Parts: sequence; structure tokens; C-alpha cells
Amino acid sequence: MKVLPVILRPAPAPWRAPVLDRRHGLFLALGLVLAVGAAEAQGAAAAHPSVLATLWRWTPLLMEGFVFNIAISLLAMAIGTVMGVLLGLGQVAPSAALRRVAWFLTQFFRNAPWLVLLFFAMFLLPFEVRVGGVTIPLPGWLKATIGFSLPVMANTAEIVRGAIQSIPFGQWEAAESLAFSRRRTLWMIILPQCVKRMLPPWMNLYSLVTMATVLASVVGVTEMLTLVSEVHAAEGGRAELLAPLYGYALICFFLYCYPIGRLTVHLERRFQVRI
Amino acid sequence: MRRSILAISMLAAAAALPGAAAADVLDRIKERGTLVVGVKTDYKPFGFRDPSGAIIGIEPDMAAEVAKKLGVKLELVSVVSANRMEFLKQGKIDLMIATMSDKPERRKVVQVIEPLYYSDAVNVLLSDKVKVTKWEQLKGAKLCGTTGAFYNKDVASQYGTDIISFDGSEKPLIALKQGNCIGYLYDQTFIAGKLLDDEWKQGYHMPLPGIMETPWAIAVAPGEDRFAKMLSDMTKAWMKSGQIIALEKKWGVKPTDYSERMHKEYKGS
Repeated sequence: MKVLPVILRPAPAPWRAPVLDRRHGLFLALGLVLAVGAAEAQGAAAAHPSVLATLWRWTPLLMEGFVFNIAISLLAMAIGTVMGVLLGLGQVAPSAALRRVAWFLTQFFRNAPWLVLLFFAMFLLPFEVRVGGVTIPLPGWLKATIGFSLPVMANTAEIVRGAIQSIPFGQWEAAESLAFSRRRTLWMIILPQCVKRMLPPWMNLYSLVTMATVLASVVGVTEMLTLVSEVHAAEGGRAELLAPLYGYALICFFLYCYPIGRLTVHLERRFQVRI
Repeated sequence: MRRSILAISMLAAAAALPGAAAADVLDRIKERGTLVVGVKTDYKPFGFRDPSGAIIGIEPDMAAEVAKKLGVKLELVSVVSANRMEFLKQGKIDLMIATMSDKPERRKVVQVIEPLYYSDAVNVLLSDKVKVTKWEQLKGAKLCGTTGAFYNKDVASQYGTDIISFDGSEKPLIALKQGNCIGYLYDQTFIAGKLLDDEWKQGYHMPLPGIMETPWAIAVAPGEDRFAKMLSDMTKAWMKSGQIIALEKKWGVKPTDYSERMHKEYKGS
């Protein structure tokens, strides 16, 4: 078959879910073995249960913490996305005042450190709210979730604005010439095309949020990293346990975020606009 | 018309306010059926987690006694030094038993329960080979210490010891293991926790009485006098019956001088 002298990228192979191949497994196992081995060597003199046994014993509790991190990230992403889409649409609204407000909110929350927003959410929100006669408790993790959803909102708003503005303007004019109203143009022509452009950066954002959820340990939410340090204390604060324990947390997050990252790359390749 | 509605609603609000303030924390606990206590979860053996995730230790046990006395369920909330007083002020926790040293500036923020239930002190983790009973016997001895501990200088000048400082608490322990010094000068509660660990149980001990005591305080929100009175009475009863010493023994800690002194003092009363 003759190859055309035109830059035609080959269609990417379909995405496979288990992108972790033997190589990655080997690296991970090697890392853990190194950490555990070093710890074993240090602890060998004392009559401790082995490091692996210690990790195993605390696994149910640590996994509970990890699931909690995932829950926080999913909820923050859901809240942040809904608000972010509204804010993003606000940035391209016909009303100049609305555009300005949306722009300001986006820039404000996009350029604030996540930890600072988290502190604000933790210490400014009450621990319970009274609506009528009903008391609704606002536990720490929920406040942290709200804190995380603010940067998600701002970043999603930018993703939405960017995607809308990346659609060639001719489409708006074409729609107008076909007597589409502005709203119908937006919802039926522009936004459907935006979805696939927004998906990869939005997933990237999700990965970042998931990894950022450990920040909640700073403000006293009992998530995985908090539990790791509590487990370390419960095990007598032995120095040789530090690396295996934190390494364990690292591997959990890696195993969760890496496939998302690969999927993002795959989608980016697939949706790449070829001109 | 509108003005009168406003006036009526303001009156209603004013009438409602003192009513809300009169219900104190004891009423709220009874109404809720749960006592919420803030404890540490990273301070073995005073408050830490077991593999099921439950919070256990000396302070959770004390909290359980308070709940039993009130006849309500107990809920433990994990607190850290940075948020424990804030939680109390907000009302997120009813009571705080969280290894908090009693300090004048803290008394301005929360209400401290007297008598103070426990006390940390300064002590030395010594190798078993070192047989001493008095601090004076440490004259000229080499001790490892943690940089920045306020008592390093005082101990050095008062007892003539030679202190080699390290950052944090891990490095001096390693130095002690390697024989760079004969003991580690640090907080007594920390050393007591270390002695629970198999690594230190054999070959090390804490034979000296603690010095420079820093008492710990149970605290409630300011203005909760009724609850404070009840807790004060409970603390006295604990000291009288030797409950705190019993808890120390239960969790493997050598009873502190402070606990024993308080027990002696209140036993007669």
C-alpha cells in the first residue's frame, strides 16, 4: 500500500481499561518491596510483627479512608461541575454585567490556593445550620467537599468558556441564518460539540482533585492521610514504618489516578481536531 | 402596618433569644441522647485508633465514664491541637479531653475544669544499664534531647548533664539506640508511650520522677458552669478512688507522680 505524503495520524488503538501492564506492576512491586525491605532490615532486631503484616492488619481502616477520599472527590467534582458550567455560560452571556461577575468569580477562585479555600470553607461555614426547626449538621468532610468544589467550579468554568469559544464563529452565524435563537444555538449546536473537547481537561481536573483531597487531613478530616499518620502513632511511631505506610497511600492514589490519566490521553488523541 | 410587623417580629426574636441561651449544654446533651467528646487520635496511649477504626485509650475511657454518668450514648470526635478549642466554642463537641496543657491564654478561650486531671512532666528514657533514682545522679551524663524543648537548658544547668540536641523525636531515639548518649530527655507522656512498644520495652526504662510538671486540662465551652461543676466533681471522685491511676495501669503507663499525689490528697477528703 502506498503511503500518502500527507500527515495523517493513524487512528489510535481503542482504549483498554487495564493500562497497567507488567512493567508498571514491576515498578510498583519493586517500590513497595524496597520500602518494606528497608523497614524489615531496621526492625529485624526488635520483636515486631513484619511490616507487611502491619500493613495488612490496618488495610481495612486505610481502605475506608481511601474510599472516603474518592467520595469527597466525586461529590466535589459533581457540585463544582454544575456550578462551573453555569459560571462558564455566564462568561459568554450577552449581558455585560453578568459576564463581568462570572469572569471575576472564575478568576478569583481559579487563582486562590486550594488549601486557602479549604481553610475558608472549614472555618467560615458553621458546623450545623438551622432551617426552620430542623438542624442540618455540616460535618467536616462536607465542608471540605464544598471547599474543594470552589476551585473545581472555577476551573470547569474556564474549560466551558474555552470550549465554547473554540467552536468556529461561523457556526453561530450559520445557525443564525437558519433562524435558530441564541439559546437554541448554544444548546443544540455549540454545546454538543463542546462536550468532547471539554472531557479530557475535565478528567484531568478530576485526577487533580482526587490527589488534592489529602489536603483535608490538614484541617482535621479523617481521610486516608490522616489515618496513615494515626496508624503510625498507634504502631508506636516507629520510624521504619513511615516509608511503607505513606508508600501504601501513594500506591492507592496512583492505581486510581493513573488509568484516568491514560484514558484522558487516549480521549485527547481521539478527539484531536485535525485540520 | 409594615412597621408594626417589624416591631412584632423584633420583639419575638428578642423573646426567643434568652430562651435559647437558657438551655445549657447539659440540656442539649440529654435532648440529643449523645455526649460528643473531642479526643486525640494520634497520642498513644491517651487517644489512638485500633485496627477497626475505633478510638481507644485513657481519655476515651474517661469520656465513657462521663457519658455513663449522664446516662447518654458517647460519640468521640477526633481533634487536633489546631481545632480542639474551636470545636468547643462552636459547640461541635460538648467536652474536650485531648491532652491539652493548661495555659493562661487558653483559659481565656475555654473553661478549664479544676482540679486538673492529669499532668505531663519532663523525664528521661534511660537504658536499663543506668541505675539511678535521683536526677542529681545524672551529673556529667550525656543525654540526647530534642532541639527547641524549653527544658533542655534548665535541666543542663540544674543537674549538670550534657545535652546533645537533635531535630524531632526520631533522631534522638536512634542516637540513644546507637549509644551516643545514655538517655533521652523528653516529655514523660511521650516516653511512657514509647515504653509500650516492644522495641523499647526491653532494655529501657524510666526510673526517675518527672520534673517541671505541665498539667493537662479537661475543658468545656465558656459559661457552661453546670456541666463544669459536674465534671469538677467527677474529677475529684476519680482522684479519690484512684480511677486515673487505674486507667494508667490498664493502658500500660507507669502512674505519674501527679496522679499519685492527687490520689493521696483526695483520698482523705
